[in-house]
Amino acid sequence: MRALFLCYRGNPFCGGQGIYLYYLTRELAKLGVEIDVIVGPPYPDPMEKWAKVYRTENLNIWSIRTEHFGYEKLTRLLSPMNFVDYFLTRFHIFPEMETFSLRAFNLTRKLLKTRRYDIIHDVQCLGWGLLPMKGFGVPIITTVHHPLTKDREADFIRDATFWEYVTTTLFYPLTMQRTVINRLDRVITSSLEGVEELVKAFGLEREKISVVYNGLDVEVFSHGGEKREENSLLFVGNTEDYKKGIRYLLEALTLLPEKIKLKIVDDGPPQRIGAWDLAKKFHVEDRITFTGKVDMATLVRLYCTATMVVVASLHEGFGLPAAEGMACETPVVSTTSGALKEVMKHGETGILVPPKDPRALADAIMGLMKDKKLRQKMGKAGRKRAVENFSWPVAAKNTLEVYKDTIAAYRSNR
Amino acid sequence: MPRAKIYGFIALLVSTALAGLFFYHSFYGPIAGGIFSSLLADNAYYAVAVPLGFLVLIILGTGFWIGWTILTIKVAPPMPEIVEKKDYAKPKAFLLCLVTLALLALFAYGVYLKSYWALALPAAVFTIVVLGMVFWVGLAIITTRATLPADKK
Repeated sequence: MRALFLCYRGNPFCGGQGIYLYYLTRELAKLGVEIDVIVGPPYPDPMEKWAKVYRTENLNIWSIRTEHFGYEKLTRLLSPMNFVDYFLTRFHIFPEMETFSLRAFNLTRKLLKTRRYDIIHDVQCLGWGLLPMKGFGVPIITTVHHPLTKDREADFIRDATFWEYVTTTLFYPLTMQRTVINRLDRVITSSLEGVEELVKAFGLEREKISVVYNGLDVEVFSHGGEKREENSLLFVGNTEDYKKGIRYLLEALTLLPEKIKLKIVDDGPPQRIGAWDLAKKFHVEDRITFTGKVDMATLVRLYCTATMVVVASLHEGFGLPAAEGMACETPVVSTTSGALKEVMKHGETGILVPPKDPRALADAIMGLMKDKKLRQKMGKAGRKRAVENFSWPVAAKNTLEVYKDTIAAYRSNR
Repeated sequence: MPRAKIYGFIALLVSTALAGLFFYHSFYGPIAGGIFSSLLADNAYYAVAVPLGFLVLIILGTGFWIGWTILTIKVAPPMPEIVEKKDYAKPKAFLLCLVTLALLALFAYGVYLKSYWALALPAAVFTIVVLGMVFWVGLAIITTRATLPADKK
């Protein structure tokens, strides 16, 4: 079988789709699938060992002022597609998905002169360019971890002024995504909760959606005997993203003893000041540490040495920090939002609490802090659950099943 | 034949036919009828008004859609930190809807009257925006250093 992947951003350290592309293609290749990839910048780490990679151009100029582009980017603006990008970004529209999909369409058309594909797998781009691709006679599927409607809702909650509402409305290409997703052959999402969200957001038929849990590298995310710190909470996520619920975790910290400290894996001030301002508001600034952006090895060490991981999210398409913590044998206190209640097992791998409830969060953290044996037991159970359900080989095997099913259905309908 | 291919053929035929109609009525017709004629024929006027009308519809439609989206937001209450900063977003969104509808009605009325200005004004706005951007990019290229000066290396 030969699959063509389309991913508008490929860097494994910027957004989930890059990680998904890198590891899923690697494991699918091990299962005998020939992989071609069309990917936009930031480009992924080298994947040439198992895939043929075609890189498309994109200037990533959204929210950057013209005078700050630099000479090299400025000269590239005068090509038609880049100018369209430029034109739309000046009106706060985020056209990366549209232009990537059109470039991918053109490139696929050329590739099909010498290569055949059994399936085209889009990674949450859903750009207009996918529609003419249907004419290629190849089934097209997409992976959507969560619909952008969730991100837009979160932005609307943060927006304060009319202008902020306008820019949020313009930013999200929901009309395009709704139109395109309903015309694809299959949609993969990473949780049962995700199915309902897609139905609600895009009016998608349930039969078109398959659930494949996300994967993580359980060999890398594993406990190597590191000594655990006491009274140390770990939060991994974008603190500027309201959906991550850092506000409620900081509020919960005020209800916990002073000795309990919080490490936040994200940039702090001066780059990001939102969480710092909140910490000052709640008078917990001396109990939090920002690690900044960290490499994989450091992230694993942080998971392995933390007393527990806290996921305070108001919504999660999957909840990777919870699964990564579990893989590192670290108990997790998490909200029940989104897919987290599927990733976690309440009382076995950690404790689930309602979202937006600092008191419940604090009580759950305190309860686990007091019981070291329970923490160890939950850590072991979490590891087992992560390996059995959330490893990349499992994700690849299940994805391959979806491919086979989609191809069979497509061919029988022709 | 796959349905997508049929759509492809339809798109090809329709776009070719429309392009033919456009060029015939907007160029061949006026030239054949006397290029210096002060009055445009109906067909020539509408050959320009219809595509321009689509452009106006897209732009004003986007404005209306933004206003409508803001008016109909149904999400959880905003963060406590945000509440005190709220401005009059909903009344402004309502105003945006009204203005876009009024402009659209004005455009439609102008086209109905076959007014020259109904076409010239939106065309001017669009031209100025596009050319303004090209000008701005050109200016930025001219005024941006291609390399660092020797003493900054």
